[in-house]
Amino acid sequence: MKLQHNLGGVEALGPVNFEKRVFVEPWEQRIFGIHVAMMGLSNHLPIESVPTKFKSEWTWADLRKGAEAMHPFEYFKYRYYEKWLGGISGFFVSAGYITEDELEAKSKEYLASPDLPLPTGGETGIDEQVIKYLRVGDSPKRDIDAKPKFALGDKVLVKDLPPTDHTRLPGYLRDKPGVVTTVYDGAYTYFCETADGLGEPMPVYCVRFDPVDIWGEMAEGKAYIFADIFETYLTEL
Amino acid sequence: MAEMFSYDDDREQKSAARVRALESLLIEKGLITGDTVDQVLKYFETEMGPFNGAKVVAKAWVDPAFKALLLEDPTAAIATMDFPSGMAGAEGEHMIAVENKPGVHNLIVCTLCSCYPWPVLGLPPYWYKDPTFRARAAREPRAVLSEFGLEFDDDTEIRVWDSSAQIRWFVLPEQPAGTEGMSEAELAALITPEAMMGVARVESP
Repeated sequence: MKLQHNLGGVEALGPVNFEKRVFVEPWEQRIFGIHVAMMGLSNHLPIESVPTKFKSEWTWADLRKGAEAMHPFEYFKYRYYEKWLGGISGFFVSAGYITEDELEAKSKEYLASPDLPLPTGGETGIDEQVIKYLRVGDSPKRDIDAKPKFALGDKVLVKDLPPTDHTRLPGYLRDKPGVVTTVYDGAYTYFCETADGLGEPMPVYCVRFDPVDIWGEMAEGKAYIFADIFETYLTEL
Repeated sequence: MAEMFSYDDDREQKSAARVRALESLLIEKGLITGDTVDQVLKYFETEMGPFNGAKVVAKAWVDPAFKALLLEDPTAAIATMDFPSGMAGAEGEHMIAVENKPGVHNLIVCTLCSCYPWPVLGLPPYWYKDPTFRARAAREPRAVLSEFGLEFDDDTEIRVWDSSAQIRWFVLPEQPAGTEGMSEAELAALITPEAMMGVARVESP
Protein backbone atom coordinates (compact mmCIF):
# COMPACT_ATOMS: atom_id res chain seq x y z
CA MET A 1 0.00 0.00 0.00
CA LYS A 2 1.33 3.35 -1.01
CA LEU A 3 0.41 6.46 0.95
CA GLN A 4 0.07 8.62 -2.15
CA HIS A 5 -2.55 6.21 -3.53
CA ASN A 6 -4.39 6.06 -0.22
CA LEU A 7 -4.63 9.66 0.88
CA GLY A 8 -8.42 9.58 1.01
CA GLY A 9 -9.32 8.80 4.61
CA VAL A 10 -5.96 9.37 6.28
CA GLU A 11 -6.69 10.50 9.83
CA ALA A 12 -5.19 12.90 12.36
CA LEU A 13 -4.09 15.55 9.88
CA GLY A 14 -5.60 18.45 11.78
CA PRO A 15 -7.71 21.27 10.35
CA VAL A 16 -7.78 22.13 6.67
CA ASN A 17 -5.43 24.91 5.63
CA PHE A 18 -7.79 27.35 3.94
CA GLU A 19 -5.09 29.16 1.96
CA LYS A 20 -6.79 30.54 -1.14
CA ARG A 21 -3.75 31.66 -3.09
CA VAL A 22 -2.65 29.43 -5.98
CA PHE A 23 1.04 30.22 -5.49
CA VAL A 24 2.13 30.79 -1.90
CA GLU A 25 5.66 31.81 -2.94
CA PRO A 26 6.42 33.79 -6.11
CA TRP A 27 8.93 31.18 -7.33
CA GLU A 28 6.17 28.57 -7.55
CA GLN A 29 4.77 30.32 -10.62
CA ARG A 30 7.96 29.57 -12.55
CA ILE A 31 7.91 25.80 -12.01
CA PHE A 32 4.24 25.72 -12.93
CA GLY A 33 5.05 27.53 -16.18
CA ILE A 34 7.92 25.17 -16.95
CA HIS A 35 5.68 22.14 -16.41
CA VAL A 36 2.98 23.52 -18.72
CA ALA A 37 5.62 24.27 -21.36
CA MET A 38 6.89 20.69 -21.13
CA MET A 39 3.36 19.33 -21.54
CA GLY A 40 2.81 21.61 -24.55
CA LEU A 41 6.10 20.54 -26.13
CA SER A 42 5.77 16.84 -25.33
CA ASN A 43 6.76 14.60 -28.22
CA HIS A 44 3.46 12.71 -28.17
CA LEU A 45 1.79 15.83 -29.58
CA PRO A 46 2.03 16.73 -33.31
CA ILE A 47 4.95 19.13 -32.88
CA GLU A 48 7.50 17.97 -35.48
CA SER A 49 7.93 21.49 -36.87
CA VAL A 50 8.24 23.23 -33.49
CA PRO A 51 11.80 24.56 -33.05
CA THR A 52 12.37 23.32 -29.50
CA LYS A 53 15.28 21.26 -28.25
CA PHE A 54 12.91 19.45 -25.89
CA LYS A 55 12.44 16.02 -27.43
CA SER A 56 10.86 14.00 -24.64
CA GLU A 57 7.40 12.93 -23.65
CA TRP A 58 6.12 14.82 -20.65
CA THR A 59 2.56 14.57 -19.36
CA TRP A 60 0.69 14.66 -16.08
CA ALA A 61 1.53 10.97 -15.78
CA ASP A 62 5.25 11.77 -15.57
CA LEU A 63 4.73 14.43 -12.94
CA ARG A 64 2.41 12.17 -10.94
CA LYS A 65 4.83 9.24 -11.13
CA GLY A 66 7.46 11.44 -9.51
CA ALA A 67 5.15 12.37 -6.64
CA GLU A 68 4.03 8.76 -6.23
CA ALA A 69 7.66 7.62 -6.03
CA MET A 70 8.48 9.84 -3.06
CA HIS A 71 9.06 8.59 0.44
CA PRO A 72 5.70 9.15 2.16
CA PHE A 73 7.26 11.39 4.81
CA GLU A 74 8.72 13.57 2.09
CA TYR A 75 5.39 13.64 0.30
CA PHE A 76 3.98 15.41 3.36
CA LYS A 77 7.09 17.41 4.10
CA TYR A 78 7.29 19.20 0.79
CA ARG A 79 4.69 21.65 -0.40
CA TYR A 80 2.89 21.00 -3.68
CA TYR A 81 5.19 22.96 -5.98
CA GLU A 82 8.28 21.89 -4.07
CA LYS A 83 7.45 18.37 -5.21
CA TRP A 84 7.11 19.65 -8.76
CA LEU A 85 10.48 21.40 -8.58
CA GLY A 86 12.17 18.24 -7.32
CA GLY A 87 10.53 16.00 -9.91
CA ILE A 88 11.01 18.28 -12.90
CA SER A 89 14.59 19.30 -12.19
CA GLY A 90 15.39 15.65 -11.53
CA PHE A 91 13.88 14.73 -14.89
CA PHE A 92 15.98 17.25 -16.82
CA VAL A 93 19.13 15.93 -15.17
CA SER A 94 18.34 12.25 -15.66
CA ALA A 95 17.25 12.81 -19.28
CA GLY A 96 20.59 14.52 -19.97
CA TYR A 97 19.36 18.00 -20.88
CA ILE A 98 21.35 19.52 -18.02
CA THR A 99 23.80 18.23 -15.44
CA GLU A 100 23.37 18.42 -11.70
CA ASP A 101 26.65 20.33 -11.57
CA GLU A 102 25.51 23.09 -13.90
CA LEU A 103 22.15 23.33 -12.12
CA GLU A 104 23.98 23.62 -8.78
CA ALA A 105 26.40 26.20 -10.12
CA LYS A 106 23.64 28.31 -11.65
CA SER A 107 21.53 27.98 -8.49
CA LYS A 108 24.43 29.37 -6.47
CA GLU A 109 24.63 32.35 -8.80
CA TYR A 110 20.94 33.11 -8.38
CA LEU A 111 21.08 32.48 -4.64
CA ALA A 112 23.86 35.07 -4.37
CA SER A 113 22.14 37.47 -6.80
CA PRO A 114 18.39 36.76 -6.93
CA ASP A 115 17.79 39.68 -9.29
CA LEU A 116 20.19 38.44 -11.92
CA PRO A 117 18.09 38.47 -15.10
CA LEU A 118 17.02 35.41 -17.03
CA PRO A 119 18.31 34.94 -20.57
CA THR A 120 16.04 36.47 -23.21
CA GLY A 121 15.03 35.54 -26.74
CA GLY A 122 14.39 32.20 -28.36
CA GLU A 123 12.27 30.77 -31.14
CA THR A 124 8.77 32.23 -30.99
CA GLY A 125 7.40 29.01 -32.48
CA ILE A 126 8.01 27.39 -29.11
CA ASP A 127 5.70 29.78 -27.29
CA GLU A 128 3.08 29.53 -30.01
CA GLN A 129 2.97 25.76 -29.55
CA VAL A 130 2.71 25.97 -25.76
CA ILE A 131 -0.26 28.35 -25.97
CA LYS A 132 -1.79 26.25 -28.74
CA TYR A 133 -1.61 23.23 -26.44
CA LEU A 134 -3.44 25.17 -23.74
CA ARG A 135 -6.17 26.22 -26.17
CA VAL A 136 -6.60 22.84 -27.88
CA GLY A 137 -5.91 20.51 -24.94
CA ASP A 138 -4.93 16.89 -25.15
CA SER A 139 -8.11 14.88 -24.93
CA PRO A 140 -7.75 11.19 -24.10
CA LYS A 141 -11.27 10.50 -25.39
CA ARG A 142 -11.57 8.23 -28.40
CA ASP A 143 -14.90 8.10 -30.21
CA ILE A 144 -15.03 4.38 -30.67
CA ASP A 145 -17.68 1.87 -29.72
CA ALA A 146 -16.06 0.74 -26.51
CA LYS A 147 -18.71 -1.88 -25.68
CA PRO A 148 -18.96 -1.08 -21.97
CA LYS A 149 -19.11 -4.13 -19.73
CA PHE A 150 -21.35 -2.37 -17.24
CA ALA A 151 -24.59 -0.47 -17.56
CA LEU A 152 -26.35 2.23 -15.61
CA GLY A 153 -27.44 0.89 -12.24
CA ASP A 154 -25.09 -2.09 -12.27
CA LYS A 155 -23.47 -3.04 -8.99
CA VAL A 156 -19.71 -3.18 -9.32
CA LEU A 157 -16.76 -3.99 -7.11
CA VAL A 158 -13.52 -2.04 -7.29
CA LYS A 159 -10.55 -4.33 -7.77
CA ASP A 160 -7.78 -4.36 -5.22
CA LEU A 161 -4.79 -4.42 -7.54
CA PRO A 162 -1.16 -4.54 -6.43
CA PRO A 163 0.36 -1.09 -5.98
CA THR A 164 2.29 0.16 -9.01
CA ASP A 165 4.49 3.13 -9.81
CA HIS A 166 1.42 4.97 -11.03
CA THR A 167 -2.32 4.48 -10.72
CA ARG A 168 -5.57 6.35 -11.13
CA LEU A 169 -7.38 4.14 -8.65
CA PRO A 170 -8.01 5.91 -5.33
CA GLY A 171 -6.91 3.55 -2.57
CA TYR A 172 -9.88 4.12 -0.28
CA LEU A 173 -12.20 2.69 -2.94
CA ARG A 174 -10.29 -0.57 -3.39
CA ASP A 175 -12.40 -3.64 -2.75
CA LYS A 176 -15.51 -1.48 -2.20
CA PRO A 177 -18.90 -1.98 -3.84
CA GLY A 178 -20.59 0.78 -5.79
CA VAL A 179 -23.31 1.48 -8.32
CA VAL A 180 -22.74 2.80 -11.83
CA THR A 181 -24.43 6.20 -12.19
CA THR A 182 -22.93 7.23 -15.54
CA VAL A 183 -21.48 5.30 -18.45
CA TYR A 184 -19.45 7.94 -20.22
CA ASP A 185 -19.60 8.10 -24.00
CA GLY A 186 -16.65 6.79 -25.97
CA ALA A 187 -13.46 5.42 -24.53
CA TYR A 188 -10.55 6.96 -22.70
CA THR A 189 -6.87 6.35 -23.09
CA TYR A 190 -4.33 7.36 -20.50
CA PHE A 191 -1.08 9.25 -21.10
CA CYS A 192 0.93 6.09 -20.62
CA GLU A 193 0.41 2.43 -20.01
CA THR A 194 0.29 1.67 -16.32
CA ALA A 195 1.13 -1.68 -14.78
CA ASP A 196 -2.41 -1.85 -13.43
CA GLY A 197 -4.06 -1.70 -16.82
CA LEU A 198 -4.51 1.84 -18.14
CA GLY A 199 -3.46 2.92 -21.61
CA GLU A 200 -5.63 1.39 -24.29
CA PRO A 201 -8.96 3.18 -24.88
CA MET A 202 -11.55 1.86 -22.43
CA PRO A 203 -14.88 2.90 -20.95
CA VAL A 204 -14.97 5.10 -17.89
CA TYR A 205 -17.80 5.06 -15.37
CA CYS A 206 -18.99 7.31 -12.63
CA VAL A 207 -19.58 5.06 -9.64
CA ARG A 208 -21.52 6.00 -6.52
CA PHE A 209 -20.35 4.65 -3.17
CA ASP A 210 -22.28 4.50 0.08
CA PRO A 211 -20.02 5.91 2.81
CA VAL A 212 -20.95 3.04 5.14
CA ASP A 213 -19.44 0.57 2.68
CA ILE A 214 -16.18 2.51 2.75
CA TRP A 215 -15.85 3.78 6.30
CA GLY A 216 -18.16 1.56 8.31
CA GLU A 217 -19.16 3.06 11.62
CA MET A 218 -17.02 6.13 11.00
CA ALA A 219 -19.13 7.13 8.01
CA GLU A 220 -20.92 10.44 8.01
CA GLY A 221 -24.60 10.19 7.15
CA LYS A 222 -25.73 10.76 3.58
CA ALA A 223 -22.27 11.73 2.36
CA TYR A 224 -21.89 9.84 -0.89
CA ILE A 225 -18.74 9.47 -2.94
CA PHE A 226 -18.94 9.67 -6.72
CA ALA A 227 -15.74 8.65 -8.48
CA ASP A 228 -14.81 8.35 -12.13
CA ILE A 229 -13.25 4.93 -12.59
CA PHE A 230 -11.62 3.26 -15.57
CA GLU A 231 -13.24 -0.03 -16.57
CA THR A 232 -10.09 -2.05 -15.93
CA TYR A 233 -10.41 -1.23 -12.21
CA LEU A 234 -13.92 -2.68 -11.91
CA THR A 235 -15.39 -6.12 -11.70
CA GLU A 236 -19.00 -7.34 -11.47
CA LEU A 237 -20.58 -7.80 -8.08
CA MET B 1 12.35 11.05 11.94
CA ALA B 2 12.96 14.54 13.28
CA GLU B 3 15.72 14.85 10.72
CA MET B 4 13.26 14.13 7.91
CA PHE B 5 11.03 17.01 8.88
CA SER B 6 13.74 19.57 9.49
CA TYR B 7 13.75 22.38 6.98
CA ASP B 8 16.57 24.63 5.90
CA ASP B 9 16.10 28.19 7.10
CA ASP B 10 16.63 29.39 3.56
CA ARG B 11 14.24 26.84 2.07
CA GLU B 12 12.32 29.35 -0.08
CA GLN B 13 15.41 31.24 -1.25
CA LYS B 14 17.00 27.98 -2.33
CA SER B 15 13.91 26.88 -4.22
CA ALA B 16 13.62 30.30 -5.85
CA ALA B 17 17.25 30.14 -6.96
CA ARG B 18 16.95 26.57 -8.18
CA VAL B 19 13.85 27.18 -10.29
CA ARG B 20 15.44 30.31 -11.75
CA ALA B 21 18.56 28.34 -12.55
CA LEU B 22 16.48 25.64 -14.20
CA GLU B 23 14.49 28.13 -16.28
CA SER B 24 17.69 29.89 -17.25
CA LEU B 25 19.32 26.66 -18.46
CA LEU B 26 16.23 25.61 -20.40
CA ILE B 27 16.21 28.96 -22.18
CA GLU B 28 19.95 28.85 -22.90
CA LYS B 29 19.65 25.36 -24.34
CA GLY B 30 16.70 26.23 -26.57
CA LEU B 31 14.05 24.06 -24.89
CA ILE B 32 11.90 27.08 -24.04
CA THR B 33 12.26 30.81 -24.68
CA GLY B 34 12.80 33.76 -22.40
CA ASP B 35 9.05 34.47 -22.70
CA THR B 36 7.53 30.99 -22.37
CA VAL B 37 6.84 30.94 -18.65
CA ASP B 38 5.55 34.53 -18.66
CA GLN B 39 3.21 33.71 -21.53
CA VAL B 40 1.80 30.69 -19.71
CA LEU B 41 1.22 32.75 -16.57
CA LYS B 42 -0.37 35.56 -18.57
CA TYR B 43 -2.76 33.07 -20.16
CA PHE B 44 -4.09 32.11 -16.74
CA GLU B 45 -4.14 35.68 -15.45
CA THR B 46 -6.04 37.15 -18.39
CA GLU B 47 -7.82 34.40 -20.33
CA MET B 48 -8.48 31.27 -18.28
CA GLY B 49 -9.47 31.87 -14.69
CA PRO B 50 -12.33 31.78 -12.21
CA PHE B 51 -13.71 34.92 -13.86
CA ASN B 52 -14.87 32.61 -16.68
CA GLY B 53 -16.64 30.20 -14.36
CA ALA B 54 -18.30 33.11 -12.57
CA LYS B 55 -19.78 34.31 -15.88
CA VAL B 56 -21.01 30.79 -16.66
CA VAL B 57 -22.70 30.45 -13.27
CA ALA B 58 -24.25 33.92 -13.47
CA LYS B 59 -25.69 33.14 -16.88
CA ALA B 60 -27.11 29.86 -15.61
CA TRP B 61 -28.89 31.77 -12.83
CA VAL B 62 -30.63 34.17 -15.20
CA ASP B 63 -31.20 31.91 -18.23
CA PRO B 64 -33.03 28.62 -17.52
CA ALA B 65 -32.44 27.23 -21.01
CA PHE B 66 -28.71 27.88 -20.65
CA LYS B 67 -28.71 26.26 -17.23
CA ALA B 68 -30.42 23.14 -18.59
CA LEU B 69 -27.81 22.89 -21.35
CA LEU B 70 -24.96 23.53 -18.90
CA LEU B 71 -26.04 20.59 -16.76
CA GLU B 72 -26.56 18.40 -19.82
CA ASP B 73 -23.54 19.39 -21.93
CA PRO B 74 -21.28 22.03 -20.35
CA THR B 75 -18.93 22.19 -23.32
CA ALA B 76 -21.80 23.02 -25.67
CA ALA B 77 -23.28 25.51 -23.23
CA ILE B 78 -19.99 27.29 -22.65
CA ALA B 79 -19.34 27.39 -26.40
CA THR B 80 -22.42 29.61 -26.80
CA MET B 81 -20.75 32.30 -24.69
CA ASP B 82 -18.21 34.89 -25.71
CA PHE B 83 -14.96 33.49 -24.30
CA PRO B 84 -11.39 33.35 -25.63
CA SER B 85 -10.50 30.23 -27.60
CA GLY B 86 -9.52 27.43 -25.24
CA MET B 87 -12.62 26.78 -23.14
CA ALA B 88 -12.40 23.11 -24.10
CA GLY B 89 -8.60 23.19 -23.96
CA ALA B 90 -6.13 21.85 -21.43
CA GLU B 91 -7.87 20.43 -18.34
CA GLY B 92 -11.24 21.43 -19.77
CA GLU B 93 -11.58 18.81 -22.48
CA HIS B 94 -14.33 17.01 -20.55
CA MET B 95 -16.09 19.01 -17.87
CA ILE B 96 -19.28 18.39 -15.92
CA ALA B 97 -21.22 20.82 -13.74
CA VAL B 98 -23.18 19.57 -10.72
CA GLU B 99 -25.94 21.66 -9.22
CA ASN B 100 -26.36 22.60 -5.58
CA LYS B 101 -30.01 22.81 -4.58
CA PRO B 102 -32.09 22.42 -1.45
CA GLY B 103 -31.29 18.98 -0.05
CA VAL B 104 -28.19 18.41 -2.21
CA HIS B 105 -24.73 19.89 -1.75
CA ASN B 106 -21.77 19.02 -3.99
CA LEU B 107 -18.08 19.06 -3.10
CA ILE B 108 -15.21 18.53 -5.56
CA VAL B 109 -11.96 16.85 -4.61
CA CYS B 110 -9.10 15.03 -6.28
CA THR B 111 -7.70 12.58 -3.76
CA LEU B 112 -4.93 11.35 -6.08
CA CYS B 113 -3.56 14.70 -7.22
CA SER B 114 -5.15 18.05 -8.05
CA CYS B 115 -7.40 17.66 -11.13
CA TYR B 116 -9.19 20.96 -11.69
CA PRO B 117 -11.19 22.49 -14.58
CA TRP B 118 -8.68 25.09 -15.75
CA PRO B 119 -10.72 26.94 -18.39
CA VAL B 120 -13.58 27.78 -16.04
CA LEU B 121 -11.72 27.99 -12.74
CA GLY B 122 -8.11 28.71 -13.62
CA LEU B 123 -5.54 27.14 -11.33
CA PRO B 124 -6.40 25.39 -8.08
CA PRO B 125 -5.99 27.30 -4.82
CA TYR B 126 -3.58 25.93 -2.25
CA TRP B 127 -6.25 24.37 -0.02
CA TYR B 128 -7.46 22.16 -2.86
CA LYS B 129 -3.97 20.71 -3.39
CA ASP B 130 -3.13 20.29 0.28
CA PRO B 131 -3.08 16.63 1.37
CA THR B 132 -5.18 17.43 4.44
CA PHE B 133 -8.17 18.60 2.43
CA ARG B 134 -7.82 15.70 0.01
CA ALA B 135 -7.58 13.11 2.77
CA ARG B 136 -10.45 14.45 4.85
CA ALA B 137 -12.93 15.43 2.13
CA ALA B 138 -13.27 11.75 1.25
CA ARG B 139 -13.91 10.49 4.79
CA GLU B 140 -15.58 13.38 6.59
CA PRO B 141 -16.90 15.92 4.08
CA ARG B 142 -19.41 17.33 6.56
CA ALA B 143 -16.65 18.07 9.07
CA VAL B 144 -14.51 19.65 6.35
CA LEU B 145 -17.39 21.77 5.09
CA SER B 146 -18.07 22.86 8.65
CA GLU B 147 -14.47 24.09 8.93
CA PHE B 148 -15.09 26.10 5.78
CA GLY B 149 -18.15 27.57 7.50
CA LEU B 150 -20.86 25.48 5.85
CA GLU B 151 -23.30 23.54 8.01
CA PHE B 152 -25.93 21.19 6.63
CA ASP B 153 -28.77 19.37 8.29
CA ASP B 154 -28.72 15.58 8.35
CA ASP B 155 -31.28 15.35 5.58
CA THR B 156 -29.12 17.22 3.09
CA GLU B 157 -27.25 14.80 0.87
CA ILE B 158 -23.57 15.58 0.46
CA ARG B 159 -22.12 14.44 -2.86
CA VAL B 160 -18.34 14.27 -3.04
CA TRP B 161 -16.95 14.06 -6.58
CA ASP B 162 -13.49 12.51 -6.71
CA SER B 163 -11.81 13.33 -10.02
CA SER B 164 -9.67 10.29 -10.73
CA ALA B 165 -10.16 9.86 -14.47
CA GLN B 166 -10.58 12.51 -17.15
CA ILE B 167 -13.73 14.38 -16.13
CA ARG B 168 -13.19 17.75 -14.51
CA TRP B 169 -16.03 18.73 -12.17
CA PHE B 170 -17.29 22.07 -10.98
CA VAL B 171 -20.25 23.14 -8.90
CA LEU B 172 -23.16 25.28 -9.97
CA PRO B 173 -23.83 27.01 -6.64
CA GLU B 174 -27.20 28.29 -5.49
CA GLN B 175 -28.11 31.86 -6.26
CA PRO B 176 -28.22 33.88 -3.04
CA ALA B 177 -31.55 35.30 -1.94
CA GLY B 178 -32.22 38.90 -2.81
CA THR B 179 -30.13 38.99 -5.98
CA GLU B 180 -32.90 38.19 -8.44
CA GLY B 181 -32.89 41.56 -10.18
CA MET B 182 -29.15 41.78 -10.62
CA SER B 183 -27.37 41.72 -13.98
CA GLU B 184 -25.13 38.84 -15.03
CA ALA B 185 -22.07 41.02 -14.50
CA GLU B 186 -23.19 42.01 -11.01
CA LEU B 187 -23.91 38.39 -10.15
CA ALA B 188 -20.60 37.17 -11.56
CA ALA B 189 -18.75 39.53 -9.24
CA LEU B 190 -20.20 37.64 -6.24
CA ILE B 191 -19.04 34.18 -7.31
CA THR B 192 -15.80 32.75 -5.92
CA PRO B 193 -13.71 29.73 -6.95
CA GLU B 194 -14.53 28.25 -3.54
CA ALA B 195 -18.27 28.43 -4.32
CA MET B 196 -17.63 26.63 -7.61
CA MET B 197 -15.76 23.84 -5.76
CA GLY B 198 -18.48 23.51 -3.12
CA VAL B 199 -16.67 24.81 -0.03
CA ALA B 200 -18.47 28.17 0.09
CA ARG B 201 -21.87 29.66 -0.59
CA VAL B 202 -22.30 32.66 -2.80
CA GLU B 203 -23.17 35.51 -0.47
CA SER B 204 -25.58 38.37 -1.16
CA PRO B 205 -23.75 41.69 -1.44
